[in-house]
Amino acid sequence: MRFNEKELISLSRQPSEMASELTMRGPKKGDVFKKRLVKLVVNFLFYFRTDEEEPIGALLLEQCRVEREDSLTFTIIFLDEAERKYQFECDTEEQCGEWTDSIIKASYEFMRKNLIFYRTEIHKLTGKDPLEQYGISDETRFQVSNGLQLKARETSSL
Amino acid sequence: MKLNERSVAHYATCDSPPDKTGFLFKKGERNTAYHRRWFVLKGNMLFYFEERDSREPIGVIVLEGCTVELCESAEEFAFAVKFDCAKARIYKMAAENQAAMESWVKALSRASFDYMRLVVKELERQLEDIQETQVGVSCKPKSGRRPPAARSRSGASSSSSSSSSLSSASSAPAVSSTFSGQKNALEEAHSRENGVMWSKAPVPISNGSIEGASSCASWDGSEDSGINMSIGPDGVRAPPVPPRRRGASLENPFSPGTGCFSKLHDWYGREVQEIRAQWLESQ
Repeated sequence: MRFNEKELISLSRQPSEMASELTMRGPKKGDVFKKRLVKLVVNFLFYFRTDEEEPIGALLLEQCRVEREDSLTFTIIFLDEAERKYQFECDTEEQCGEWTDSIIKASYEFMRKNLIFYRTEIHKLTGKDPLEQYGISDETRFQVSNGLQLKARETSSL
Repeated sequence: MKLNERSVAHYATCDSPPDKTGFLFKKGERNTAYHRRWFVLKGNMLFYFEERDSREPIGVIVLEGCTVELCESAEEFAFAVKFDCAKARIYKMAAENQAAMESWVKALSRASFDYMRLVVKELERQLEDIQETQVGVSCKPKSGRRPPAARSRSGASSSSSSSSSLSSASSAPAVSSTFSGQKNALEEAHSRENGVMWSKAPVPISNGSIEGASSCASWDGSEDSGINMSIGPDGVRAPPVPPRRRGASLENPFSPGTGCFSKLHDWYGREVQEIRAQWLESQ
């Protein structure tokens, strides 16, 4: 599948929500833990060899689940291939918690659900649609029905 | 650079509802002819398939950081997706009619994660303001009082003039809705609201300002009034819960929505006894 690699690499250089040196293990049998600079930018997780400019790889964080293996380790599991796990080992329990939390919130779909929730709540409390003043009430991505459909099948986060 | 392509392709075809789908003509890279492809927009990812019923996408365009512009082209209803990085490729596309073109340009220019995040933050802020006000007034009901968000909107025009930077102007020769443009629009609206926002002087929360008076809190939530996330039993992240409301304090009966019925029951029981005693005395 083709993708706009140059633009994605450029994205990896943007200011990130979180960046740490962690040890990471890939999903393939025989993959071992290696030290990587892991960087979260929007809904992508980039991983670099420490002090290399270009990332080795990127993970789109949609349709995935985050699990806490133990106090220092978390795993990202993609729903289409549950046997393939990306494991990350942190330095402290606190760091592990921060990462787990950040990745769960890093998906577009997660944000969409929040938006729909806020929109509905504000409408309930005020009788007004908060998106109306921005002229974006009719956008598909902000529709309540969108959220309801997602809810039935949503398992993208722990 | 590696990408978790199989999972990305799965995202394209899984049953999460897409933000937009349709046929578009896409200019090829090497073969510069326009090819008709089936496009699926989900979040900040624009997938394209050979046919509508193809099982896997041919490719994907990550839309983060892009701008969308109408462009001069021999092809009618053409527009371009551009990026701000060195040697970036320009994705030229063409729709089948004017309406489709406008609709796609609008959808693509608002597809970024950053834009969604902005809107969510703005609504979160609005909801917090409304709830703070409501908790404050719950003990002193005043008719006609409306939350700041609703009130301030009377000053802002809700028609297209105030949101012109967010909506695409179809008559303009070039529509470029970048992230910074959108941010300014929301911030502008935000500051307008601030101008008529009620003062946020701390209102004593008489229904439960006494810590520990009742340990039966009604909702999950944190001590601060921030919106927090909670995890449902099936592992699904529930939307954030409103700030915690305390249970009834014995000193004050005006605590609507208290979850601690037994305490409330006790209080009212006592009140009834007092009133009865007063009545008996007056006989």
